[in-house]
Amino acid sequence: MSGNKWRALDHCHNTRNNNADVQQNGEQLVSNKQQSYEWIIVRDSEGVDIQTTDTQAALSLQLGIQAAIAAVISVTIGDTDQGKAVAQDMKQYIKTKQRNVQKTIVEGSRNITVTTTDTDLAVNIQALLQILITLVAKLDIL
Amino acid sequence: MSDSSKKTNAIPDKVIDLIVSNTLSKNGVDLEEIKGKLTAEQKQSLKELVEELTLQVDQFVDKPTSRKKDSK
Repeated sequence: MSGNKWRALDHCHNTRNNNADVQQNGEQLVSNKQQSYEWIIVRDSEGVDIQTTDTQAALSLQLGIQAAIAAVISVTIGDTDQGKAVAQDMKQYIKTKQRNVQKTIVEGSRNITVTTTDTDLAVNIQALLQILITLVAKLDIL
Repeated sequence: MSDSSKKTNAIPDKVIDLIVSNTLSKNGVDLEEIKGKLTAEQKQSLKELVEELTLQVDQFVDKPTSRKKDSK
């Protein structure tokens, strides 16, 4: 176990963001502050199947829901001072600060499956959707 | 509350309902008045939007969205 030990993710070790599928180092700022750091390091292994949360997809989804909330307010209340005040207040509730750090190291393994979930991100998206659904339900849309 | 929200309750519905109701009443929004402003097309469009987002959220929560198979 010395000398030229083969490491599956050597190329990910020294630089950032050079293999987004395996190593996510997403640091995104939406209207809320959210940081997600996920490290999955595979060393001296083969047949490793990794399933992980796609942070970019999650953030896109989050932005989509936020935009939908803004659209509902705009269509119903309009771009008036009242509409802007409602949107502003909703944003205050939505505003969260969270930091998610996950580190998974696979070493000396063969034929394994790793599944990780960014629970914080999932919960945040679910909460946003709940606000949207409640808002439209009150308007008899659903 | 909609049936479509059954799977996606991160926060109790009553809490969300309180937040939304409070925000609307605090800003003097008359729900009945607003309901009358919406056209059938707008309602349908917003309904489809919410259903699509609900589906996407359920899919996201149900399973990881990225997969990497190391073939070495």
